[in-house]
Amino acid sequence: MKNTFAKISPFQVDPEKIMETFDIRDDDFSSASSQEKESMVEMHKSISFWQDAWRRFRANTVSMVALFVFLLCLFFAFIGPKFIPYTYGDQYRTAQKLGPFEYSKSEDIVRSIQDSADAFYATALRPGSLTAISKGSYYIQYGGKTYAFTMKKGAEKCILLLKQNDPEPLQLVSEKDIKDGAYTKYTAIEFTDTPEEDAKELKLIKRVFPHVFGTDSQGRDIMARTMYGARVSIIIGIMAALIVLIIGSIYGAISGLCGGVVDFVMMRIVELIYSVPEVLIVLLLQVVLKEPLQAWFQAHSATSAFVKAMSDLGAGIVSIFITFAVLYWVTMARIIRGQVLQLKKQEYVTAATALGASNARIIRKHLLPNCIGPLVITTCLQIPSAIFLESFLSFLGLGVSAPMASLGSLCSDALETISLYPYRLVFPAIVLTIIVLTLNLVGDGLRDALDPRLKK
Amino acid sequence: MGTYILKRIIGSILILLLIMVVTFMLMNAIPGSPFLTEKSTPEQIAMAEAKYGLDKPLYVQLWNYIKNYLHGDLGTSLKMQEGTPVKNIIFHQGKFALSIKLGLLALLVAVCLGIPLGCLAAFYRGSWLDGLLRVVTTIGVAIPTFVLAALLLVVFSVKLKWMPTLSGSLTDAKSYILPVISLSSYYTCYIAKLMRTSMLDAINQDYIRTARAKGVKTKALVLKHALRNSLIPVVTYLGPVTAGIITGSFVVESTFSVPGLGKYFVQCVMSRDYPVIMATTVVLSALVIFAMLVVDIAYKIVDPRITLTTKED
Amino acid sequence: MEENKLLLKVKDLKVSFFTPAGEVKAVDGISYSLGYNEVMGIVGESGSGKSVEAYSIIGLLQNPGRVIGGSIEFEGENLLDYTPEQMRQFRGNKVSMIFQNPMTCLNPVYTIGNQLTEALTCHDKTISKEDARKKAIEMLELVGINNAEKRMNQYPHEFSGGMRQRAMIAMALICSPKLLIADEPTTALDVTIQAQILELMKDLQRKENTSIIFITHNLGVVADICDRISVMYAGRIVEQGKVNDIFYDPQHPYTRRLLQSIPRLDEEDDERLIPIEGTPIDLLNPPQGCNFGPRCTECMKICLRQKPPFAQVGEGHISACWLHFKDALEKEGEK
Repeated sequence: MKNTFAKISPFQVDPEKIMETFDIRDDDFSSASSQEKESMVEMHKSISFWQDAWRRFRANTVSMVALFVFLLCLFFAFIGPKFIPYTYGDQYRTAQKLGPFEYSKSEDIVRSIQDSADAFYATALRPGSLTAISKGSYYIQYGGKTYAFTMKKGAEKCILLLKQNDPEPLQLVSEKDIKDGAYTKYTAIEFTDTPEEDAKELKLIKRVFPHVFGTDSQGRDIMARTMYGARVSIIIGIMAALIVLIIGSIYGAISGLCGGVVDFVMMRIVELIYSVPEVLIVLLLQVVLKEPLQAWFQAHSATSAFVKAMSDLGAGIVSIFITFAVLYWVTMARIIRGQVLQLKKQEYVTAATALGASNARIIRKHLLPNCIGPLVITTCLQIPSAIFLESFLSFLGLGVSAPMASLGSLCSDALETISLYPYRLVFPAIVLTIIVLTLNLVGDGLRDALDPRLKK
Repeated sequence: MGTYILKRIIGSILILLLIMVVTFMLMNAIPGSPFLTEKSTPEQIAMAEAKYGLDKPLYVQLWNYIKNYLHGDLGTSLKMQEGTPVKNIIFHQGKFALSIKLGLLALLVAVCLGIPLGCLAAFYRGSWLDGLLRVVTTIGVAIPTFVLAALLLVVFSVKLKWMPTLSGSLTDAKSYILPVISLSSYYTCYIAKLMRTSMLDAINQDYIRTARAKGVKTKALVLKHALRNSLIPVVTYLGPVTAGIITGSFVVESTFSVPGLGKYFVQCVMSRDYPVIMATTVVLSALVIFAMLVVDIAYKIVDPRITLTTKED
Repeated sequence: MEENKLLLKVKDLKVSFFTPAGEVKAVDGISYSLGYNEVMGIVGESGSGKSVEAYSIIGLLQNPGRVIGGSIEFEGENLLDYTPEQMRQFRGNKVSMIFQNPMTCLNPVYTIGNQLTEALTCHDKTISKEDARKKAIEMLELVGINNAEKRMNQYPHEFSGGMRQRAMIAMALICSPKLLIADEPTTALDVTIQAQILELMKDLQRKENTSIIFITHNLGVVADICDRISVMYAGRIVEQGKVNDIFYDPQHPYTRRLLQSIPRLDEEDDERLIPIEGTPIDLLNPPQGCNFGPRCTECMKICLRQKPPFAQVGEGHISACWLHFKDALEKEGEK
């Protein structure tokens, strides 16, 4: 057929007009080389599943912020205690029932004089190991110099001051005398330059750290306790999630892979556990396990490092782990079984089997990588639910025991005095909520990033 | 349908029996005797144990429990005023009724509030309303029940004095408000989130496109075509909700001093009142199992694809 | 074809999807017209924009897709000027659509009867329940479903795939629309069922005097049923003509390659299937020149620089390729 250019609107093109409307060059109708053709095609870089998932997770602002905040919480819980001078167990006798950012009387005294001193050591402030400096030799290293001194008897209720540019840099001041920064020197001190061999080192406090969250009725710093509690809660959450992950995924995988009678029996067991109202059993378990566990700790902690580690955690926490190992893996098992069953039917698994791949290879190369998404998501979302359960048990007085603290037990303690000191509840509750919230959001983000169903 | 329900009821009774056995073993594993006090001598303890049959072999004790339960006899309390029948404590003193009232109200609030909120969020996806609801529900599922209960108590009862501090036996409507809010908030938020996701999922389904191509109105599209499909995951979730509300009631009842079953259960476990532990566990378990059964039947009503005789995961 | 006899006139339609990665020109200026009682096939590989184009006619484009230019005239009225409510009344009544996967296109929780009568009642408020039911049963019988009365009360999961597609067709035709858009209606079905459904559609088209836009990636399917065919590639029509022109005298290199890649029983044995090399272009970064250029074996330098205009290559047969202009220029040179 001839190529003609008849007039038909709107597709009409006049042959003469081609030259006018289009920019036609001399060599335009010679064939293009394959390089020229390729240069026109922009190829997407191929990226791996994890790169792709990470890219999508990064694009999710909410999840990224949540991840950042959760990392802050981790910092708060694990590294935070290094930055504050208080510990979770120490009871600061003069500093009971303080509100947020309040100072005890003795701390106030120290604060009132700290302008004139470079550093100080308040003997009466800290009822811990260094409470009363007894007679003996001490040294302080400060500003590149070593100040060594011998403490005479009876200087317990004193404040040790360090004034670098003073002819007598090291001074002992009576606590009673200090009023509005004016104080009299107390001379029960002998000052030398070189420390004696058995001299103990004293750490000077450079400034008084406020009780940011206040203190409780026993004079314990609530921020230190919240940090510690957050640490305990996070550890419990992660450990419990790992226990659930291991038991649930192995159980689910076996059930899904074996199929048949094995699957039937295993799934009936899962259904049974599923229909038991777990909290009732958990409560009973908690009470039941406490004393046998303590007896077990006492008997074996000397010989076994594992038991020692467990006993450090305490019976309450270990029985929470046991509870999770007994009751809470069923959801994970169901998810993994479903995933395995679904994957078993996939054509590529059939193809691999047809090509003679061994079962181990199929599990390693096909099933495992495809299960990792749901595994990661479920584990991540298991952590907050474990933290929830722990705090619930601690709230009922069954979880961790004093002087250890978890966020749940802190809330529970605070509840007794809630009408007088509401902030004691507020701080641990906020930290608990933030941890659970951010973990939920991170989990959601992971699901969006890893779930191939949403992938376009 | 009939045979299915019958089968399920038989299954439920078996599960209850199993729970009885487990509970029995667990509570007997609690160290110490229920009659152990600072003053009591070994002879007194032995006498008291003999009186309540605690000296008999364990399997006899267990068999007695099962036998009595089949006759509707829940035994007598070991602690409360010399042999008060457990049945009286649970049912006649209103503990059971209180817990049920609280739980049902909370469930009702969670469903009646959660589903519409989820629908609204899905329908106005991307709007400020959706954003607000997402923030609220996300925070809602991150606040533990006891924290919320305590905060509500402080703000509304202690500081503002709008509500009574002790809800007590829930005699007036006002005393219900705070316990029900604290108990239902988590589930309201969770259901709203679930509903939003499943509604969005349903809206993107092919059958919605078909309905749109037919010229169905937007309202009918959402209320008829999307709603019923998106209810399926929510109905599935109602089983765990029932169990969860009982958990929550332990906390809420102790925070608001409501003398319900949940609060009582914790006390009994602590004081080793065996017959009461057993009775409470069985009653609460029966409740949960019954709720699961109701959910499975509701499932059939919502989704015609489910046939109740062959159940699959 | 006379202007006033046209049912549908699509003019320079442009549809873009605004994704976070950038604008995707899914449909980049296509024009065609459809007469009453005519069957037009739109053929192209997946992602060529054929479904998007159909969705914009029936107003089913979802975010982030938007019509950004052109017009769609249906019996002289521009559909793009319709309000959402007008559009709703138009859908299902004047034009209806059937979809690819009959397994997922029916609502699983309502009976077939419920969904069929709904199509009627949402356009005709006055119709009584019994009348609607009668009409629905009639339609089910028309599409060859036995026991229609009983089938009305069944749920979609109780139907087989072919039966569901029949039900979908019944639902689409229940308001006697003037235009039926069939988006790959046979792709998800078994081959034997495919043939049955095609036969049924041909049959119904004749009986009901409906125009059809038949969208498919399978040239073999449209041969039988269509009057005219538009071949689409990457959001543009590359060739359009009567069914015989396209099959026996394809002009555009893409159409030719497409025809070479379908198995044919009537050719000699040594005729091998030739796949089209390369992958479809990335619509996020469309090439400057002809979209098919990078995959075309006859690609010229100009093809990489400029998009080709349409050339009339026969009566009612147009093709957009620079080769035609090369031929024309050469001929002019001979003169």
